[in-house]
Amino acid sequence: MKFVHAYHSRVLLIAALASSLIANSSGPLSAQAPPARSSVQNASLPRLPGGHPDLQGLWLKSAGGFQGLFIGSLDGTNFAAAGRGRGNGGGGGGTAYEYTPEAEAERLDRLRRGYEDPEARCHLPGVPRALDQPAGLYPVQIIQDEKYVALLHEAMHDVRIVPTDNSPHPRSYWAWDGDSRGRWEADTLVVDVSNFNGRTWLDMAGNFVDENEHVVERFTLVDLDTILYEATVTDPTVFVKPIQMRFTLKRVPAEQQILEYSCLEGERSLQHYTEEDGGKKRRVK
Amino acid sequence: MRTGAARPAFFSAAVACILAVVALAAAAQTSKNATAFSPARLQDGKTPDFRGLWQVRDTAYVNIEGHPAEKGIAASRSIIVDPSNGKIPYKPDALAKRQENYRTRAASDPSLKCYQAGVPRATYLPAPLQILQSPGNLAIVYQENHAFRVFQPDTRPHFDSADFWMGDTRYRWEGDTLISDVVALTDELWFDQAGNFHSADVHIVERYRMTGADTLEYEARIEDAVVYSRPWTLRTVLYRIKEPGARIIEDECLEDANGVRHHISPDDPRNLLKSDYSRWKKPAQK
Repeated sequence: MKFVHAYHSRVLLIAALASSLIANSSGPLSAQAPPARSSVQNASLPRLPGGHPDLQGLWLKSAGGFQGLFIGSLDGTNFAAAGRGRGNGGGGGGTAYEYTPEAEAERLDRLRRGYEDPEARCHLPGVPRALDQPAGLYPVQIIQDEKYVALLHEAMHDVRIVPTDNSPHPRSYWAWDGDSRGRWEADTLVVDVSNFNGRTWLDMAGNFVDENEHVVERFTLVDLDTILYEATVTDPTVFVKPIQMRFTLKRVPAEQQILEYSCLEGERSLQHYTEEDGGKKRRVK
Repeated sequence: MRTGAARPAFFSAAVACILAVVALAAAAQTSKNATAFSPARLQDGKTPDFRGLWQVRDTAYVNIEGHPAEKGIAASRSIIVDPSNGKIPYKPDALAKRQENYRTRAASDPSLKCYQAGVPRATYLPAPLQILQSPGNLAIVYQENHAFRVFQPDTRPHFDSADFWMGDTRYRWEGDTLISDVVALTDELWFDQAGNFHSADVHIVERYRMTGADTLEYEARIEDAVVYSRPWTLRTVLYRIKEPGARIIEDECLEDANGVRHHISPDDPRNLLKSDYSRWKKPAQK
């Protein structure tokens, strides 16, 4: 299976974050206990004047690759990886996920033509893939005030400015990243994402969603340096039942900074591929 | 007679009063101009609050040196305030390159490929930007191609070992003025649709200053010894977008059958791929 993935600026990033990765490698993450979600307000968390937890900073997903969904990955283990995105979650105790028959045929087809992954063409990854990037590679900068939580993703310079007023989704709006509306439930930021345009894939392994996708994300600051991220993906025309995802974001040391991801601007991959492989040259009929 | 004598006195007193009021008003006007607008503050009570959606109202994005009207595009004066002739002080070779860029602009403008616009071009595009702020944090999100810049405090040195499309930005506050220092921009960027350009040596100092509750003055001093005979400065005004519910909307380009990218609005039904799964294999639009 061929993967054409835009990694043009990645080398830069790897260089810049090398020390960060070394700093984070003090122990295998899978050996650590999963963070528990506290039901009572944690007084030790940093908070904004309004009382909500302060999610601000630069964060990196702590484990996992980009092939296959991250299902039930409580400790960062990618249970789906063994099955390469097979419909039953691939074993390992993760929550099973199951495609409708029509969607399963489409998934298998996309598995064969992975080069059509829109992210390989520098398109916005959508949700939850915006955060579900290869672990340790692309950080997300969070800036928060009393009205918004803004997620500035290095990957694809994807931006999500989430109002925390629980306002309704618009009617005629179809976007790669959908439309995000947030609210606070105790100390957890809950983001409802709808209005997808149906073009995004969930990963490089052919897992996908269509325009009926609906995501509920939960961001919980469990300690100063850890955000527990959970997402429930519902798509009745693709999945028989909702998908549950969970992984952690770790705070990047303060001396690191987010860098620029220029994808289209430095695109050098597609020109090497033939038309049949989705490259730049197209067959004239 | 007394009344006759009193009348001129009354009149002169009235005139004096009027003159005094006029003088006071003039003095108030002068002091208002001399004293800068004081913006609102963030929750820390100190940091000037520049948050919001902002956009220019001119068409300098076509040519920052000014241009006549075209079909559908209003004329614009030069936004270059130094030198006073409103022209970029190109060196001779660089001017020849600009003329060549201008001739080939229909094909060679990097923005036609949906590239990130760079600094300062992203600021005066006909699309809004949003300033995000919290005490100690500052970023600008540009609607065009969802580009963003995270402003880093100038207490840390530039990350300039690579070239970026949006540069590397360090900032500080000087009173209520935001001053940023930008380096590490690639030499593939243009200032406008007319082919005005800089080299990778360019160094930009930006100044953002609120001149009223809804106006943000933007100034950029551009220094590049490779291309220009002297530094030059452009200045423009961004206006607050006040429509209720206004937001940055997603701006993503789609490829047509020829591989050319076009901005497609999220309101455009062509952006919506209905669950006919096989459609992805076909060109996304005609």
